[in-house]
Amino acid sequence: MSMLAQVSPGPGSLPWLVLHDVRVKARGRQGRWGRIIAIVLLAALPILGGAGMAWRVRGGADLPQAALGSVGAVLLGMLLVMVSSAYAHVLRLGRDRGELELLLTAPLPVARVVAARVAGVQAVVALPFLLLTAPFFLFSAAFGHVTWVAGPLVVVAVALVATALALTIATLLDRLLGPKLAKLVAQVAGVGLAAAVFSLGQAPNFAPKWFDAQLAYFSQRPPAPFDWPSQAVFGQALPLIIVLALALAAAQCSAWLAAGRMEAAPADPTAAPTLSAPRRSRAVRFGGSATAVLFGKELKLLGRDPELISQIGQQLVFMVPILALIFTDGDITPARLAAAGVFLAGALSSSLAWLVLCAEDAPDLIAAAPLRPGVAIRAKLAAALTPPLLMVGVLALVVLPKSPIAVAVMLPMALVAGLASAAMQSWTQPPARRSAFRQRYRSSLLMAVGEFVLLGSLAGATRLLLAGSWWTVAALAVPALMLAGVWWFRPKPAE
Amino acid sequence: MHALIPALQIHGLAKSFDGFQAVRDLDLVVPAGQIYALLGPNGAGKTTTLRMVTGLARPDAGEISVFGVDALADPIAAKRLIAWLPDEPLLYDKLTPIEYLAFIAGLWGVPAADAEPRAEALLQRLTLWDKRDSRCEGFSRGMKQKLALAGALIHEPRLLILDEPLTGLDAAAARSVKDILLEQVAAGGTVILTTHILEVAERIAQRIGIIRAGRMVAEGSMAELSVGRAEGTTLEQLFLELAEA
Repeated sequence: MSMLAQVSPGPGSLPWLVLHDVRVKARGRQGRWGRIIAIVLLAALPILGGAGMAWRVRGGADLPQAALGSVGAVLLGMLLVMVSSAYAHVLRLGRDRGELELLLTAPLPVARVVAARVAGVQAVVALPFLLLTAPFFLFSAAFGHVTWVAGPLVVVAVALVATALALTIATLLDRLLGPKLAKLVAQVAGVGLAAAVFSLGQAPNFAPKWFDAQLAYFSQRPPAPFDWPSQAVFGQALPLIIVLALALAAAQCSAWLAAGRMEAAPADPTAAPTLSAPRRSRAVRFGGSATAVLFGKELKLLGRDPELISQIGQQLVFMVPILALIFTDGDITPARLAAAGVFLAGALSSSLAWLVLCAEDAPDLIAAAPLRPGVAIRAKLAAALTPPLLMVGVLALVVLPKSPIAVAVMLPMALVAGLASAAMQSWTQPPARRSAFRQRYRSSLLMAVGEFVLLGSLAGATRLLLAGSWWTVAALAVPALMLAGVWWFRPKPAE
Repeated sequence: MHALIPALQIHGLAKSFDGFQAVRDLDLVVPAGQIYALLGPNGAGKTTTLRMVTGLARPDAGEISVFGVDALADPIAAKRLIAWLPDEPLLYDKLTPIEYLAFIAGLWGVPAADAEPRAEALLQRLTLWDKRDSRCEGFSRGMKQKLALAGALIHEPRLLILDEPLTGLDAAAARSVKDILLEQVAAGGTVILTTHILEVAERIAQRIGIIRAGRMVAEGSMAELSVGRAEGTTLEQLFLELAEA
C-alpha cells in the first residue's frame, strides 16, 4: 500500500466526502491554472499588507482596548456578508440532486453526507475572510502577540454562526413563503445586501462627514458581553472559549437544519413543475409584426425576472465609483450629469444587450422563422436600448432647464454608448443561458476592462464636447478603434 | 400538379464539422402528404440533415428544395412552409402558452383573425387551454413538448419536421401527438420525423429512410424494405441489420 493511500481518508468518511465535493467542484471550473495564478496574486496582497500592519502594531498591548469597538464593528460587517454568501450556497444545497441522491442512496449515514455538504458551505464562506485576515494575525503572533493566533479561529467561528443563521433564515422563509418565493426573496435580498455593502464602502467619497461620524460611533467599545467576540480575536481565554462553544453549537444546528431541509424537500423544489396561478390581467394581442412580437417578447422576459432586474440594479450600483470620479470636487454640473448619463446608459445597455442577444432562450426558433436578415437583431437591440434611453430621458428632463445643449449632446451620445456596448457584447460573447448573467465576464477580464474603457471614453468625450475641447476627437477615436478591433477579431460563427 | 412536387427533395447534401463528415452525398425525396420516418443510430446525421433543411445549418454541398422552393437560394420562402420541432422544446419560461403562440404567429406573419382561433383550438386539443395564462416555467416536460407542438402548428406548416417528438411524453400525450400527425397528413400536410421508437415509425410512417454515417442506406415503404427478407420481418430487425451493420 502506498504512502498516499495510507494517509488518504477512508472511503465514505466525512473528510473523504468533503474531498470528493472539492474535487467535483474544482474539475467543473475552466482555466484552473489561470485561477491558481489569480489566487496567488490575490493572496500576496493580504500577506504583504498583513505583515506590514502586524509590524506597525507589534509593540502595542496584547488587548488593545481602543480597538475593541472597531474590531466588533468589523466582525459584525463580516457576519452580515458571510450570511449573505452562506445564503446563496444554502439555496444550492439541494441542487445537483443527481449526485446528491447517489450519495444518499449509498450505505452511508445521511447525517454524514449532509455534514460534508455543510462543511463545504462553511469553508467557502470562511475562506475569503481567512485569506484577508489570517496573515495579519499570524505575523502578529510571530512578532510577539502570541495570543492573536486566535484571530483566524474567530473568523472560522463567525463563518459557522453565519452558515447556521443562513440555514435558519432559509428554513423559516421556506415555511412562511414556500420554496419558490423564498428563493426569489433570498436572491433579491442578497443582491440588495451586496449593493448596500458596496455603497457603504463608497461613503467616504460621497458623504465623508457622515462616514466619519459613523466611524467614531462604531469605534466606541461596546458593553460586555457584546465585546466578547472582539476580545476573543485577541485571544482572551474566556471570551474565546465562549465564542468557540457558540460556533460549535451553531455548526451542530446547521447540520440538523440541513438534514431537515434535504430530507423534507423534493429534488430542487424551486425547479419542480409547480404551476403558477393563472392570471390574465389583459388579453394577449395576436397579429403583431415580427419586429413587434420580438420587441414585446424581450421586454416581457426582462420585466418578468426580478432576480435579473436586481442583478442589473446591483451592477449599476457598482458604477458608483465611476460616478465619484466624474463628480470629483462635489460639483454637479450639467456636463458631468451628461457624462454620467452616457456612461450609465452604456453600462445598462451592455447588460440588457447580453441578455437579449447572447442569452436568447430559443435561438433555433428565431433562426427557423421566416425573417429577413437583421429583423431579429434590430428588434432585440431596440428592446435592449429602450430602458437605458428612458433612464437617460428622465435625466434629460432634469438637465434640460439648466443646459439644453448638454441634453442635445447627451441623448445621441447615450445612444452611441448603448449601440457600442451592445455591439461589443454581440461580437464577443458566446451564447449562454440567462442564469449565467452574473458570470458573463468571468471568462474574459479583457472584455470587462475593454467595456470600461469604451464607456469611459464616450463619457469623457461627452464632457469634452460640452467644454468645446478638440480633445473630443481623441476621446471618440478610442472607442472607434476599439470597436473596429473587436469587430475584426470577433469569433466567426461556426455553421 | 401540386401533388407531383415533392415536399422535400435533397440532392448530394454534405456537411462536416471540424473534419468529421456528419452528412455525405445524401439524396432524399419525401413525397407530399405522407409521414416519413428518418431513422438511424445516434450520430448518424439525422438531426444535422434536418437542421440544414430548416435553415439552421448551411450545407457544405448539395441542394435542398421544399415544395419546389430552393431552400438555399430563398430560405425565407422555404421557412414559411416549414415548422421545426426539436427534441428540446423551444420555449420561453416566462411566457404563458397564449403569449408564446401569439409570438410564433407574429414571427410567421399569421393574421390575428386566423391565429387567435387557431391558438385556442390547438390549446384545447392538446389539453393546455386551462393553463393558457400560466407561465411555462412551471410546466412538466410533456406539457412543454405539447406547447412546442402547438407552436409548430399555429402557422399551418405544409412540412412539419419533428426530431424525437415523443421524448418525455406520457402515453396519453404520445397518443395525442401521433393523432395530430396523422391528422396533419390527412389534411394534406407532410410530416418528417426522427424517432428511436421503431414501433411508432413502423405503425404511422408511409415511408422510412435509414441513415448511417451520414449516408442513406435504405429507403422506401415497409413493404419495399422487406423485399427479399423473411415474411414478418419487423422494422427493428431491418434497422439492426442495415443501420448497425
